[in-house]
Amino acid sequence: MQLVDAELQESRQILPGQWLQQYHAPALAAGARAGQFVHVRGDWSGLVLRRPFTINTADPVTGTISIHFREVGRGTAWLTRLRPGERIDMLGPLGQGFQVDPRSRHLLLVAGGLGIADVRLLVDEALRDGRQVVLLYGCRDASEVYPSSLLPDEVEYLVATDDGSVGHKGFVTDLVLEYEAWADQAFACGPLPMLRTLAGLVAGRKGRLGVATLGRKRGGGRPVPPGSPAARRRSFLQVAMEQNMGCAVGACLGCVIWGVDGPQRVCREGPVFAYDEIDWDATAGPGTHAQ
Amino acid sequence: MDLGRGLRLRNPLLVASGTFGYGVEYADVVDIERLGAICCKGTTLRPRQGNRPPRVTETPAGMLNSIGLQNPGVDAVLERYAAQWAGWRVPVIVNVAGESIEDYVQVVRKLDLVPGIAGVELNISCPNVGKGGLQFAIDQDAAAAVTRAVRRATELPLIVKLSPNVADIRPIAVAIADAGADALSAINTLSGMALRRDRSGPFLGNTYGGLSGPAIKPVALRIVYEVAQVVGIPIIAIGGVTGLDDVLDFLAAGAVAVQVGTAIFADPTLPVRLVDELTAECGRRGLASYRPLVGTALPGRTGAASSRGVEYRP
Repeated sequence: MQLVDAELQESRQILPGQWLQQYHAPALAAGARAGQFVHVRGDWSGLVLRRPFTINTADPVTGTISIHFREVGRGTAWLTRLRPGERIDMLGPLGQGFQVDPRSRHLLLVAGGLGIADVRLLVDEALRDGRQVVLLYGCRDASEVYPSSLLPDEVEYLVATDDGSVGHKGFVTDLVLEYEAWADQAFACGPLPMLRTLAGLVAGRKGRLGVATLGRKRGGGRPVPPGSPAARRRSFLQVAMEQNMGCAVGACLGCVIWGVDGPQRVCREGPVFAYDEIDWDATAGPGTHAQ
Repeated sequence: MDLGRGLRLRNPLLVASGTFGYGVEYADVVDIERLGAICCKGTTLRPRQGNRPPRVTETPAGMLNSIGLQNPGVDAVLERYAAQWAGWRVPVIVNVAGESIEDYVQVVRKLDLVPGIAGVELNISCPNVGKGGLQFAIDQDAAAAVTRAVRRATELPLIVKLSPNVADIRPIAVAIADAGADALSAINTLSGMALRRDRSGPFLGNTYGGLSGPAIKPVALRIVYEVAQVVGIPIIAIGGVTGLDDVLDFLAAGAVAVQVGTAIFADPTLPVRLVDELTAECGRRGLASYRPLVGTALPGRTGAASSRGVEYRP
């Protein structure tokens, strides 16, 4: 974890209300792992909290990272007005990223809406390590579809829209059935109902998933403590969770979600969890209050 | 600075309970040894899971939190952190919360004589739990009773944290001072709430939360100003400190030290920077210590008592 000055290099609106910004921050780019995040503070007035953003991409060679966000309030609106050459304060990289089993060949990524930002860097890491990636993406309609030009060619990219204006008509989770037998591991981020549905799908088929190359059926090896990197690697599904955040370093206990063993800090134990660490009935997602 | 019973701080900038964890969380980016003291997360006799999320949300010039005293319990806190704290130059003050006088006494007995524990801050004013002590903070007899009981249980320096959620703080502050507290800290958060965006109900999982940040500074300043005129023990100010002007305001209103809280979330390096800025300010004014800055805004005789023990030299 470091506190660095990050210089904006490029900022553009990639979808209505959604922005992609690239920052020069070599110290963060060098250590960032897929699923980790940065806690950002601009030279804004009137806001008392930083804003957390998943590290969307990271390039240690150019020393850059990118964030992808939706303009939802004063903090993100302020960011959209930032000009190249201007600087913001970034604390990071923070949190536990995705755990990929070294033996995994086939990764299934499931993203709903802005959840794509959480799995985007995993696409790059997986391809770099010679794995195959299927990315399932769900959104409301054609206007919100993540541009395939922002993805490497090697990814198999499938889209579901609520209104069927592009790709499958229905939920992105409908597409999972076709790939679950192929996948060694699955990684997801998106709205809470989507993640809950996925967790339900996986929970019902526990023993039969992730067997393509990992041979999970032949016992799980030595027992590992829940929540450990090893336990998460063994879980078929890992999910990146969101919550309103205070400090982002584990001090304030503001960003918890409910796990099967009680409160879990999204900023420290997460943001990535194995699906079976989470109490899906008790967990409430983030949000903003009425002004 | 001597806050009583040998609790000597090298400078008057502390970090507030609940905003700095156990001192280890920010160690990568903050030189914690340069802080005046660290007040750790509220600690209870038994482990507490805290309130259901969401627990925090930003408000105009502030934030609401309803953590609900999540902590692993005093035994686990001592086991995990005490040895580490004992090796630090910066004193660690353990913030103690409870549901009954017996709870407070038992926690404090466990802290007594443990190396690494420099003092106790009694949290009798958490607004975020059903039975979390707020009942002790709003009644002068109850406040005196818990203070007296804890005073009998330990020789540790004892700070009692006041709640702003009362009509008149002065009789309560006097009762606590008379019951044997070495110092007072003021203020805890103000009880508040926010609604869901669709206004279908409360936003926070716990309905109510504690308001902190710059929005509450005028309230904290008023309470420090009032308390400084009626007690003879040092006051540590808390509430919306974001810069040197806030520190100087609280000193002028009669505080002998200041805790930084919510502002740490935005800028973890702020408390240490304020140490340097206060030193520079004293130098600029040709002061050998910041003692002359304490109580200058108080009416009539300035609070001689409240500046007791100020030994800090920039």
